Amino acid sequence: MHSLAIKHLTIWQQSTPLISLDETIQGGDILSVMGPSGSGKSTLLNWLTGMLPATFHAQGQLYLGQQELTHTASHSRRLGLLYQDALLFPHLSVAGNIAFAMPKTTRKQRTDKIHHALDQVGLKGFENRSPASLSGGQQARVALLRVLLSEPKAILLDEPFSKLDSQLRHEIRELVFAQIREHKLPAIMVTHDCVDAQAAQGKIVNLGTQEYNHA
Amino acid sequence: MFNPNNVFTKVITLSPALLLALLILPVIGGLVGVLLPAFSYIPALGEIGLSMKGFSALINTAGFSDMVRLSISSAFISTLLAFSINLLLVAAYFTSPWLNRIQRLLGPVLVIPHAAAAIAISFLITPSGMIARLFSPWLSGWQSPADWLLPHDPWGISMILGLTLKELPFLLLMTLAALAQTDLATNLRAQHKMALSLGYSPVTAFFKVVLPNLYPFLRLPVLAVLAYASANVEVPLILGPNAPPTLAVAIMNWFNDVDLTLRIKASAGAIIQLLLTIGLLIVWWCGEKIIKRITQLSLVNGTRNYADKGITWFVHLLTTVIVSCVLLSLVGLILWSFAGYWRFPESLPDQLVLMHWQSAFSHMQTPIMNTLLIGFIATLAAIVLTLFTLEAEQQRGYTLSRFATIVIYLPMLIPSIAFLFGLVWFQEQINSQHALFNVIFSHLLFVVPYVFLSLANSYRRLDPRFMNLAASLGATPTKVFWQIKLPMLATPICIACALGLAVSFSQYLPTLLNGGGRINTLTTEAVALASGASRRVSAVYALVQMLLPALAFALAWFIPKLLIQNQHKGNHA
Amino acid sequence: MIRHKQPHIVICNTLCGLILLLTAPFFSIATEHSPTWQTIVNNGSNKPVYFHAWGGDPQINIYIQWLSEQVRQRYNIELHHIKLTDTSEAVSRVLAEKSAGNYDEGKVDLIWINGANFAVMAQNGLLAPNWAQSLPNFALTNPDKNPAVTLDFGVPTQGMESPWGQAALTFYYDSRAMSAPPYSLAELLTWSAQHQGRFTYPKPPDFIGVSFLKYALIGLTPESLKHLLYQPATEQSATLLLPTLWRYLDALHPNLWRKGRYFVNNSTALRRLMGDTELSLALTFSAPEVPAAVQRYDLPTSIRSYAMHDGSLSNTHFVAIPYNASHINGAKLVANFMLSIDAQAKKQQPHIWGDRTVLDLSLLSEHQAHLFTQPNPHPSSLISTVQSPALAEPHPSWVKVINHGWLMRYGAKGQ
Repeated sequence: MHSLAIKHLTIWQQSTPLISLDETIQGGDILSVMGPSGSGKSTLLNWLTGMLPATFHAQGQLYLGQQELTHTASHSRRLGLLYQDALLFPHLSVAGNIAFAMPKTTRKQRTDKIHHALDQVGLKGFENRSPASLSGGQQARVALLRVLLSEPKAILLDEPFSKLDSQLRHEIRELVFAQIREHKLPAIMVTHDCVDAQAAQGKIVNLGTQEYNHA
Repeated sequence: MFNPNNVFTKVITLSPALLLALLILPVIGGLVGVLLPAFSYIPALGEIGLSMKGFSALINTAGFSDMVRLSISSAFISTLLAFSINLLLVAAYFTSPWLNRIQRLLGPVLVIPHAAAAIAISFLITPSGMIARLFSPWLSGWQSPADWLLPHDPWGISMILGLTLKELPFLLLMTLAALAQTDLATNLRAQHKMALSLGYSPVTAFFKVVLPNLYPFLRLPVLAVLAYASANVEVPLILGPNAPPTLAVAIMNWFNDVDLTLRIKASAGAIIQLLLTIGLLIVWWCGEKIIKRITQLSLVNGTRNYADKGITWFVHLLTTVIVSCVLLSLVGLILWSFAGYWRFPESLPDQLVLMHWQSAFSHMQTPIMNTLLIGFIATLAAIVLTLFTLEAEQQRGYTLSRFATIVIYLPMLIPSIAFLFGLVWFQEQINSQHALFNVIFSHLLFVVPYVFLSLANSYRRLDPRFMNLAASLGATPTKVFWQIKLPMLATPICIACALGLAVSFSQYLPTLLNGGGRINTLTTEAVALASGASRRVSAVYALVQMLLPALAFALAWFIPKLLIQNQHKGNHA
Repeated sequence: MIRHKQPHIVICNTLCGLILLLTAPFFSIATEHSPTWQTIVNNGSNKPVYFHAWGGDPQINIYIQWLSEQVRQRYNIELHHIKLTDTSEAVSRVLAEKSAGNYDEGKVDLIWINGANFAVMAQNGLLAPNWAQSLPNFALTNPDKNPAVTLDFGVPTQGMESPWGQAALTFYYDSRAMSAPPYSLAELLTWSAQHQGRFTYPKPPDFIGVSFLKYALIGLTPESLKHLLYQPATEQSATLLLPTLWRYLDALHPNLWRKGRYFVNNSTALRRLMGDTELSLALTFSAPEVPAAVQRYDLPTSIRSYAMHDGSLSNTHFVAIPYNASHINGAKLVANFMLSIDAQAKKQQPHIWGDRTVLDLSLLSEHQAHLFTQPNPHPSSLISTVQSPALAEPHPSWVKVINHGWLMRYGAKGQ
């Protein structure tokens, strides 16, 4: 179990400071980052994933446990991402999408694992379906499985539930949070929805006002 | 230690420079290669003193001013016509489903090589052509073909007609492509609705609200059309006059003359052609500014309706005429390709025979193989270079500089006749004897801009979150490129391939010049046959010339569907 | 029995085969079995021959393919047809080899050639001399009575080329559009006034276009001055002879197709306009092309061919061997076979090529001569009942003068 630590981070847009943050998230905890649009939520995510556009520059470090990630390439950070859109690769099947994410194993192990995981989220037998044929909720669940089975060290959530209707939203939210806690992953959730933030039962940072609250 | 990832990243990093070098060196080298001989510097002919005698020989050529006038007028009028008709069509049908229907009707014309289109139109308007046959003798009273001046009229009317009909679908497609960019289209359509709600009639609303925001997306295509029209040789060869011909055709004839000293005059001509084309582009650009200034006030003068009804009716009529012209020339071509004896003024042949297709196919294998080979290699190279360059752009995190973008579109704007001869000279200097390689290389210059134009948008607008997601799942940039980006872009890549093939298939001058006349493709054969003995064989060649790119586009439509189907079947994890 | 007269003493170069030929005059009869010829057969067989020939006509290409099968069977010669788009390519190739110092391993063994290209090569010493008359089959052309086989556009061949075939300027017309065609230059002028826009000729420097102008020039030049046309053109002779031609054209052009403001680029375009019935009268240098085109539906069935009564411009085309050819003996064997009765008779068949033979049929047996006749002539083909005097080609230097003058006067008359 690792913690995710953001140390003395400041991000500038040209010469204007946009964000400053200093947080440590323990495994199983969820840090909620709130703020109006333009407050730098997605910039923060870009910095975390190592995809900060050239127009920004940042100072500060990112630690996963004892390992510094600040200058690690995006694909070597092993931070799982969940967006508001499921963003399933349209050219791959459900199983293909998940398999694409999984660490290299034998074909048998892969198949079993995917089968088991799909079964767990109520999508038994969906392996060969094309993403386009799934409902919104089903897509969200596949996207979650894809992240989890990639065995990430931490999870980043970008407005993960904002496109779901209220019934589904509740259900998926519980599923995601439960899985994060079960896998004891540190998580950062960017959202503008107070209900999501409350439900995460963790620390809430408001980027617009830089107020710190506890749920 | 060998790391395929690093190698790939290196290749990617180098490709924009490679692409630029590949485009800029031949063009610059080619221009130098005509600039020197233009000022009488040809060591091979013992000419080493710089002088203006090429230019004075050029100016003293009988009919020189007529050549220049013909080139300018035909290019300008045809571009203006094609552009105006395009605007009228879009304006009149902006909110109607007919816009897409017309595009679908005219779309096939887009992929037809200029040579084939010119042949089709010459069959239509020639005194013994389809139009004359339809109206004879019951209306015209002609028992034998009238001795009228179309095609090949000295004023270039046939040429203007040919160029206009061929370029209109291109401009229409470019307009619709701009309108298909969701963000732009939503805005423009919303603004158009807003104008309607303010009491503007649809056509007026289009010109006042939509056009000013749409035009920036049409500028490059229009300038490319203008540049092409001013300097191409295949349309004037098939439809234009020859006493005197257009400047570009005359230059080509001088370059190809056995009398090598004519090359000095030809090079001087190429320089004049270059100036002429650049001049036309500048005039168009100035005209654009002037019109913008003049119309500034009328945009807000409050007039809600400029004879919209009349314009709409006119556009209906125009559309009918254009679509029937296209259909009639196609029908004419097909009939000729199967025609037995077919005496004027009968509107149908006496008998239909397969003979012309059979005899054409017995001679067609080499040209078809050459066409395909050159097309495939040039397109493949263009696609790889373009994809790598776009990937480099994303990996570096910023888009290509304005300079680089201009360089990529350079071959579309600089008259090919101005630098191709220099390129040939250049290839002779570095002793590049391999005709096929030279041809492929020269095709690449013309294929790259179109492939880049068609791929860049899709590539740049691919949702970056997919890539972030894949990277967050541990996929290296190499894996993301091959396994996420390429499959997701399968459709645009296939379309770019088809476009690249179509562009390569239609190249006449580069094939002829860089291959030293030794490489025959369908297009060089079709142009040669267009002035040849048999209308019937010429029709077969023109039809095959149309079929090849059509086939490429059909495949581009079909292959991505097949791929997706297969992937879903094959992805048992 | 073939009697082979040796008209000249052969002057030989270093090649041993040719040295042996010096003995030829001592034999009154030279047959294929004569020792000299036998040496050539021995040295030429079993080797490749690179034949550089214009490849623009599929019918001719197929005939050359037949030739290569024949020489393979007879001499085991591998005959490669290098298809040229213009004969000048081969000329410049030999020239390039010469300037590169390649004097005996040239890539070109045999060239199909005549006219200006021959004149250039002969002038620059690029052709092997004095071999043509030693070919056994050459005698069949009856060279003493038939100067056309030793004169190429007025230039003596001096044994540098062997004749292959000949062509004459032939006219054809649409019999549905007129009762009788014009039979002379004078008639052409009056006919064209009555049939406005129904005749034209290709724009020089097209070969047929220039040929029409040469025919007109010969016809318009008074007998007393005609000899000037067979000498190199000078400024003086040009100013003397050409004005008549321009006056004739000035009168003719307003009556031509498109009122003479647009000229087609080549003779094939003429044929298409005849097919479209836009034209009613046209001309060609290869008469058999006309019935062949009718059979391919490219010309209407009402087309008839004929020769002008005031003469037909005629020329012979040849094959030549470059001085540095790698396979000179093999090339001679091929050239000799081209002159054989079999090869010439086959070539003259309209459905094969239709190129007129250079052999003198009166020297052949009845059976052999019969091979050259066509069983059922096509109604559109040329019937040689009417005598049309052959007009020899003027000296090649006239071509440039005529072209230049024409382009200056009519080349830029757009509007």
